Amino acid sequence: MLSYILRRIVATLPVMAIVALFVFSLLYIAPGDPAVVIAGDQASPEDVERIRQSLGLNRPFLVQFGSWVWRILHGDLGTSIFTNLPVSAMIGQRLGPTLSLMIVTLLLTIVVAVPLGVVAAWKAGSLIDRVIMGFAVFGFSLPVFVVGYMLAYVFALELEWLPVQGYTPLAQGFWPWLENLILPAIALGCVYIALVARITRAAMLEVLQQDYVRTAKAKGLGQGGILFIHALKNAAVPIVTVIGIGIALLIGGAVVTESVFAIPGLGRLTIDAILRRDYPVIQGIVLLFSFVYVLVNLMIDVVYTLVDPRIRY
Amino acid sequence: MALLEVENLQTHFRTPSGVNRAVDGVSFHVNEGETLAIVGESGCGKSVTSMSLMRLIPEPPGRIAGSIRFAGRDLLQLSDREMRAIRGNDISMIFQEPMTSLNPVLTVGRQIRETLMIHQGLDKQKAEAHAIEMLTLVGIPEPKRRVREYPHQLSGGMRQRVMIAIALACNPKLLIADEPTTALDVTIQAQILKLMLDLKHRVGAAIILITHDLGVVAEIAERVMVMYAGRKVEEAPVAELFRSPRHPYTQGLLGAVPRLGSSLTGTARRLAEIPGQVPDLRKPITGCVFAGRCALATDLCRQYAPGLEEKGPRHVAACHYAAKGAIAA
Repeated sequence: MLSYILRRIVATLPVMAIVALFVFSLLYIAPGDPAVVIAGDQASPEDVERIRQSLGLNRPFLVQFGSWVWRILHGDLGTSIFTNLPVSAMIGQRLGPTLSLMIVTLLLTIVVAVPLGVVAAWKAGSLIDRVIMGFAVFGFSLPVFVVGYMLAYVFALELEWLPVQGYTPLAQGFWPWLENLILPAIALGCVYIALVARITRAAMLEVLQQDYVRTAKAKGLGQGGILFIHALKNAAVPIVTVIGIGIALLIGGAVVTESVFAIPGLGRLTIDAILRRDYPVIQGIVLLFSFVYVLVNLMIDVVYTLVDPRIRY
Repeated sequence: MALLEVENLQTHFRTPSGVNRAVDGVSFHVNEGETLAIVGESGCGKSVTSMSLMRLIPEPPGRIAGSIRFAGRDLLQLSDREMRAIRGNDISMIFQEPMTSLNPVLTVGRQIRETLMIHQGLDKQKAEAHAIEMLTLVGIPEPKRRVREYPHQLSGGMRQRVMIAIALACNPKLLIADEPTTALDVTIQAQILKLMLDLKHRVGAAIILITHDLGVVAEIAERVMVMYAGRKVEEAPVAELFRSPRHPYTQGLLGAVPRLGSSLTGTARRLAEIPGQVPDLRKPITGCVFAGRCALATDLCRQYAPGLEEKGPRHVAACHYAAKGAIAA
């Protein structure tokens, strides 16, 4: 198992290298001279030349790429053109809120979507099933910002149960941290919950037809034990897969959610960086997201082996 | 004394094209420690009967009526909770497909432990020890290692042994075996049958054996009930049934069994088959259910359904002509 994980980590290196190449090429794929692009509209030719020199843009592409990678491997993601701060420090500041939002959303999704899907499959065709699947369609169709503003209006402005926006670090207490994340997590989680609930229902429907479910019933197990132990564990592989894929969805959704709820996270940083054409920051963020995604994929594969003993690597 | 008494069991399924009367008015009993075989071809309702006894029929679309008295209580009147306390404890079941009847993602040990923990209130350690004992009992080598393995690591015969271990873990009074050997190869079949018989004597359980294999019936059953189109058509002690089958359908079934060595003794003949098909159970049947396929059927058969009549000692059959001996083979 350990050797498998090690082999998988080694196998992700080429993937990360290709991602890095793409990320680095961003600057060159963008139309125009990178130095001109970076310098902006009002720059004099001297400014452009100075930038070209300082960024080493006059050197051959592969040499530039090589030295960029070399610096990244040493933990140096470059310096922001706009703020002159190291990119790693800027990302570090913004990582907390985004990570918090994603973890709370992920937990909320698993806790809500999986039981809903299980119940829908158990009561397939009944009113409960149709209500749950109706909500799933609803969750799919509503954009994050619509849900976000609606939630903020009802629960924050009208009922005043939760704060309208903002973020409090976990260091200042669990509840202050969580209360700022509840509404954003629901807004961000809607699509995700709908997706996971649907997949859970589909996977469970198939499993509930199996002979071993009948065996479990013939042994005198209660409905809960049959559904959540005997059946759910067999249905887990597709569910885990979708939860993992959904993390990519979350990364995209976090950008919008953070804007709606004024959370100072990576999503906001991304938007700001794109608007300012702050290429080193954009590169750093994209690289980080790709890395997280590769990591999540590895984790999914490891979880497979935990839920299904027939899967061995 | 009768352990199980089934009266007028009716299991019907609502389908888009009408009500399927899979079991239609079947009555029988099983004595303590007795082995009753239920035989018949595919679709005759024998499996549905056994599933009805355990109330494993999904309702709806299924509906079970009649009465199933087990140790003095009518199972059809029990709450779900009371029924759960009986399943796997007083009545347990072995299924046809050992390859798919065990849960692939749980260890063998856990699957045996579960029934012990639910029904006997054992803690995990005691249940584990008992599970190892059960594996030893059903003849699985290295039980201490096997108990931690998953079903896919075991062969078909081994898995059926595990199923038997699960079924017998709580010393049930009644074991329902639904074609327990059909999916196994012949040498393993014999081992599994012998194991079931050994354990039956050890535990003192009664067995309902559902099968279409008359060789198996001859070997282990004491009494046989023949089903056709959801009804009981004949019932007799096993020797009596093989010696003098009264119902034309039973005779057909026995005629369809190949006899070993018949070509050497010069008695070889083409295997008799029963022409035609089982009637559509979604349509009401007037007259004898077997009339459409019976060579001896007359207008009487097609108009009036024969009741079950005494044809010999503990021998009943539902045929207008059986008593007269007109169809003696």
